[in-house]
Amino acid sequence: MREKCAPEVMIEVVDLHKYFKDLHVLRGISTKVMRGEVVAVIGPSGGGKSTFLRCMNRLEEPSSGHVYIEGVDITHPYVDVNKLRTEIGMVFQSFNLFPHLTCIENIKLAPMHVRKVSEKEATERGMALLEKVGLADKAHAYPDQLSGGQQQRVAIARALAMQPQVMFFDEPTSALDPEMIGEVLDVMRAMAEEGMTMVVVSHEMGFIREVADRVLFLADGLIVEEGTPEEIFNHPKEQRTKDFLSKVL
Amino acid sequence: MSDQERTESHLVDVQRRFPVQTPWYYRTGFILGTLAAVVLVGAFLLPQPGRLSTADKAVIAVFFGLALAWGALLFSDPGKPEWTKTVTAFGLLFLAGWLFYRYADAQWERLNHVFFNWQLMQEPAEGGESAWMVLFKGLGITVQIAVFSAILGTTLGLLLAVFRAFNNRVLNLFIIAYIDFFRSMPIIVLMVLIYYALPYTGITLSAVASGILALGLNSSAYISEIFRAGILAVHHGQIEAAHALGLDSWKTMRLIILPQAFRVVIPPLASNYVASAKDTAICSAISILELLKSAMQVQAFRANPTPLIAATAIYILLFVPLTRLAGVLETRMRVRRARG
Repeated sequence: MREKCAPEVMIEVVDLHKYFKDLHVLRGISTKVMRGEVVAVIGPSGGGKSTFLRCMNRLEEPSSGHVYIEGVDITHPYVDVNKLRTEIGMVFQSFNLFPHLTCIENIKLAPMHVRKVSEKEATERGMALLEKVGLADKAHAYPDQLSGGQQQRVAIARALAMQPQVMFFDEPTSALDPEMIGEVLDVMRAMAEEGMTMVVVSHEMGFIREVADRVLFLADGLIVEEGTPEEIFNHPKEQRTKDFLSKVL
Repeated sequence: MSDQERTESHLVDVQRRFPVQTPWYYRTGFILGTLAAVVLVGAFLLPQPGRLSTADKAVIAVFFGLALAWGALLFSDPGKPEWTKTVTAFGLLFLAGWLFYRYADAQWERLNHVFFNWQLMQEPAEGGESAWMVLFKGLGITVQIAVFSAILGTTLGLLLAVFRAFNNRVLNLFIIAYIDFFRSMPIIVLMVLIYYALPYTGITLSAVASGILALGLNSSAYISEIFRAGILAVHHGQIEAAHALGLDSWKTMRLIILPQAFRVVIPPLASNYVASAKDTAICSAISILELLKSAMQVQAFRANPTPLIAATAIYILLFVPLTRLAGVLETRMRVRRARG
């Protein structure tokens, strides 16, 4: 098991609101994510899960409220967004690999151009990461030559190459064929075991039950209920949670 | 009885009960007979050329119209044998050529001497150079104008498209106005303005510079729209992924968006280059001695249009392969997109 001595707050979200024009998508979300914690976010579609995640690295601008990452308020206008994002790895539902670059080029692009790592070092680190996700032999393949599961593993390696403090996963397996979901979840499981702080939006309840330390149930822009997987899945308190779980489990 | 035999006997049975006959107008004999009749009428029975009365002209027009309609009926019927269509196509084309030759009332016998007087092209002209040399010098200037205006247009167009992608309202209004202005401005007007009007403000450009500037400004408007389409075609997730990795807007543009946009824009860009290279002929309006103007000068000096024919031939030889190339690029792109 992972060691968690001296729990340290990694992310703190305080009363986060987000409007899209008149649509109130996030209605005051407050929560904390500890270092090394794996937090799963579940809930019905349209409930604001992705928006919540994207507000935390400012792919969406929060309308009000605060997000502190390692104590820094990232909603402050003077925050260097690009610097902030280097600390947060993001994995998307649709992979979003760069189609004009090979896998290894995808991975070493950001370290070289943002972190200013030398090409040699970036390549070495990239190859090690590809090894880790089991795709070292695909280093020079282009994304469209890979299966969905392989693309998503490369995307994870690409995010890891920036050595982020925390990883966000936005429904990483939702666009995959069923037989490829396992290989992506395996990589994520291994990351969790290594102690990576992770926030995972997902519908893979089995995976969440096994790996997550805490589950947030998000519906209608609010955290309806949060707790350990055991609490949420086996003893949900709120009717809304029970309804949702009865549909997906 | 085997399956096949049963099927055949069934068919025979059906045919006996519902006799299927080729109608008379469908039969090959009729089709060929009509074709022969049309060609014969076209060759011998139409009014003699010379002074044609209105009725004569009407007869000829109606005759050719009927021939075309008859061909259209034939071509549009997928049931007709292919070879009858081939024969008909040749027949109609021949007929059109024949009617033009017969009724254009031209002095065809002078054609060779007037239009294809290659002897004249080789003789030394006023400056001691042969007409061919004058034309090739003109071609050099045409190519020079085409290349430099393409460079100017691409640079400006790319800059405009990139700045437009950053979505600043004021800047975008200016860029849209710029594009509208240069797209609605006839190139020849722009060129004349730059060369003949601008000097009154004290800005004097050489003729060639004016030509390059006018063509470059015009194509920059089109090229910027092409690049804009290319940039917009890049999936939004690409930009998000780049931002999520910490790349700033300029790096995202340079490393992620433009490399992908360039692939999409190559075919339309190639067509645009070909189109604006053809527009270099407009430079003859401000008396730049490019290919067309050189040919016109020799033609005026020699009082013979052969140089114009030669210039035409050079344009065709130059642009047919380029147009083809642009077409091939476009097809290839469409195939790739259909696959991907």
